Order: sequence, then C-alpha cells, then structure tokens
Amino acid sequence: MGKSPTQVLVVDDEEDLELLIRQKFRRRIREGNLKFLFAHNGKEAIEVLKENPEIYLVLSDINMPVMDGLTLLSQLADAEQDIQAVIVSAYGDMKNIRTAMNRGAFDFLTKPIDFNDLEATIEKGLKHIQAMQAALETRDRLVALKQELDMARDVQMSFQPEALPANEHHDVKAVIIPAREVGGDLYDFFFIDESRLGLVIADVSGKGVPAALFTTVTRALLRAVASKDYTTPSDCLTMVNDLLCESNPSCIFITLFFGVLDLRTGELSYSNAGHNPPRALRTDSRVEVVPKTGNIVLGVQPGHTYRNNQIQLAPGDTLFLYTDGITEAEDSKSAEFMESRLDERLADLAGASSERVITDVVDAVQEFVGDAVQSDDITCMAVRFLAAVPS
Amino acid sequence: MEERYKLSVEAEHSDKATILIVIGRVDGSSVGILESAVQEQINAGHKTLIFDFKDLSYISSAGLRALLIAARLTQKEDGKALFCALADHIAEIFEISGFNEILDIRATRADALGAL
Repeated sequence: MGKSPTQVLVVDDEEDLELLIRQKFRRRIREGNLKFLFAHNGKEAIEVLKENPEIYLVLSDINMPVMDGLTLLSQLADAEQDIQAVIVSAYGDMKNIRTAMNRGAFDFLTKPIDFNDLEATIEKGLKHIQAMQAALETRDRLVALKQELDMARDVQMSFQPEALPANEHHDVKAVIIPAREVGGDLYDFFFIDESRLGLVIADVSGKGVPAALFTTVTRALLRAVASKDYTTPSDCLTMVNDLLCESNPSCIFITLFFGVLDLRTGELSYSNAGHNPPRALRTDSRVEVVPKTGNIVLGVQPGHTYRNNQIQLAPGDTLFLYTDGITEAEDSKSAEFMESRLDERLADLAGASSERVITDVVDAVQEFVGDAVQSDDITCMAVRFLAAVPS
Repeated sequence: MEERYKLSVEAEHSDKATILIVIGRVDGSSVGILESAVQEQINAGHKTLIFDFKDLSYISSAGLRALLIAARLTQKEDGKALFCALADHIAEIFEISGFNEILDIRATRADALGAL
C-alpha cells in the first residue's frame, strides 16, 4: 500500500481507547507505518473521513453522544468510500454486537480491551483491506487492458480501405464482423494504376494485439511493394514474405490471397499464400474454386518463391474471397458451416450485386451459427467485374 | 470448459523419439496445452518429437503456429519434429496453408519412426 502510513480512525467519546492506542502502537506510529486519527462521536468521525479519503479502517465505540456507533455504521455502509469498521462494545453486549455485524461491521472487540486482541484485529482488518485493494487494482488493470485491446481493434478497423464506389466496370464490397477479441483478419483493395485493381484478403494466426499489429504491418508492406515497380502478385508476395521473415521471432504467420484484376480484360492475376481459395461465381451459377498456387503462408519461410496464376472473369462474374471465419463458423452443436454450404449459397447469387452477395452469405452464416458464440472474425469480399474499361 | 474444446496430449517414449499423441481440438483456447507439452519434452532433453495426429479432430492457425514453433525448437536442439497420421480434413488444412512444404509429414507412425 505504498510508503505513506496506513491510517486508522478511532471513534470513542472516552479517552481510554485513544490513550491505549497511542501508547501501545507508539513504535509503529513513530516508524511511520501506522497513523491514528481520533474522533469523539459518529458525526465527528464522518467529518474526519471526508477530509481523509485514505482512511479504510475505523474502530468505533457504540455508545456515544451526538451520533452513536451503530448509526455511524449505517452511514459508512452508504458512503462511497470502502471502509471497514471494527466495533468496540462492552463484554456481553451481544445485542448491539449482533446489530453491528448485521450492519456490515468487519469485526468486534470487547471492553475492557485486550491489547493483543486489539493488535490482531487491526492487523486482520488491514490485511483484509490490502487484499481488497489488490483485487481492485487487478480489476482496474484488467479494465485498462481491455480498453487497450478495444483501441487495438479500433486502430485495426480504421485501416480497412474506404468503400470503393461501384461504377459501370466494377462493384466491390467487403465486410469484417469481428469476433469479441481483437483478431487478425484483413481485407484491402487499392488501384495499382488506373485500370488494375489490387484485392487482398488475409488471416493472421492467433488473436490479440500481436496478431493485429502483424496484420497492419503486412497490409502496409503489401501496399508499398505493389505500388512501386509492380510486376506480378507473386513477386509482391515473395518480397513481402522476405520482409516479414526478417524479424518474426514469435513465428506469427499470415495466410493471404493477393489478386490483381485487370479491368481492361477481366483477367485476374494472383498468388495465394496459404489462404482459403476464393471462388469465381459465374453468371450461369457455376461456382469455381480459384486454383491454389500451392504456396506457404507468409512470414515463416524466408526465400520462398511465390507462384503466380491467372483466371479469366467474364462481364457479370463475381470473385468471392473469404476467411475461415466463414467456413469454420460453428453452430451450437459444433458443426461447421463448411465450403459446401458456402458454395450452395453462392450458386444462388449469380448475377447479384456484390452488396447482396456479402449480405446473403453473412446472413446464412449467422443463421447457421444461431446462439453459438462467434469465435473468429467473419470476413468476406465480393468483386464483380461488370464491363471492360476501354484500353 | 465444454467437452468439444478438450485437448489432451499423451507422451510415449521409444528409443528413437518421443511420440506426442494429440487428442482432440487445437484452437486458440487450447493451444497452450500443446505448447506446454512440447516445452516439457524439450526441457526433459527429448528433442526428437513425433506428433501422432490420428486423434486430432481440428487444428486452427494458432495450432499450426505451435507446430511451427515446435519444429524450430527441436531444430535448435539438433533434433527434429515429424508429424504423422493426419486425417483427410487435417491434411487439407496443411495443404492449403502450405505447411506440408515445410513440416516433415509422414503417413503413419511407423513411417515416421522409420525416417529417423
């Protein structure tokens, strides 16, 4: 409880208790680890407490003029300060002692006061208060920690890109529904030049602040690498991977799909670092798995060369990207949503707007999960290619 | 804790390796159990570990990270980590994430022991 002396308030209209305490505790008072304050009735006691918010232990007689000890107890119970009271009463005065205990007294002492008993009771009271304060501090730290985690989540969420207004060429929508704990899902889209649109979806291993930081760094690195001397998605990932591996002692990794849609041709060039393969939703309701490039997650294997692949989107086709928060969403019986349910749902959404695709899929997942707790971020992005931009 | 989150790790010792049988579900809430089991073996000087996954029902990315750390830790001690008996859906998780490229995966425990 710090270096300042622990303060105890003694309330008694007679001098004998005050004298006993001043004498018996003189060493500890002199050493500065205990400080006693004195009041002569309940009303005075309340005033002393008001002026000394550091007092947590009160030793009070019952029979006193102006305000008796039992009334004082009731007032202490209503006060905001968390004060423990020890009641002093005549030996055999069980009725008052019981009333006092019922009103929340921590303990009682009987007169004539036995010094050892007094000392033990004060020690016990102080220990109790220390334990309580430690518990309060722990709670405060937890509250502070929770606030930091909330802040981390806010920071992470603020890094999601601004909505890209749909036009006659493209229609892009994405959503993250975060789980309770700050997680590590990420989506991003940005123009590499005026006709090529970069698309990113990713999921970092683990949760909490380290995961959120790793996600944020990955996003920044990928944007930086892709906007400077862009060649192919795989080249970008090879570079980002090496940068991430340079300092990653805690073996955090991220699964990430990076595609670049050429709006002049509808060609999607991409590389997939261990992420769930996206889907190409064709206008005739076929749902195609975007073939893997067979590459490892980012952040663990320095020097790994990422491979590139291409698929063709026709006008009206939609690329659907997601994280395992969708396919591994669990209902209350721990059944998983699975890719099969996702594909079935997507098949019904051919030709729909990206907004509708996202909403329908998320609704289906949430309906499936029902009352079960959402354990992971749910993230998905729909990118509809509408018509080629003239070259 | 609910039954489905239960994870247990049993250790068996052979003259060539310590086999860790991972039973149940490795996810964010249970990964600590796996991590401490690995640490315990390494601290005890057992630096060649075979993870037997025949009773592993699910592994999340947090679990994969723990495997990666186990592989690194054993390497550092001049030992190694092998992984065997993956059910199809577990093998798929390894394949999608590319972990099959960097972890030493064997079909059966006998294969893993034979590879030592």
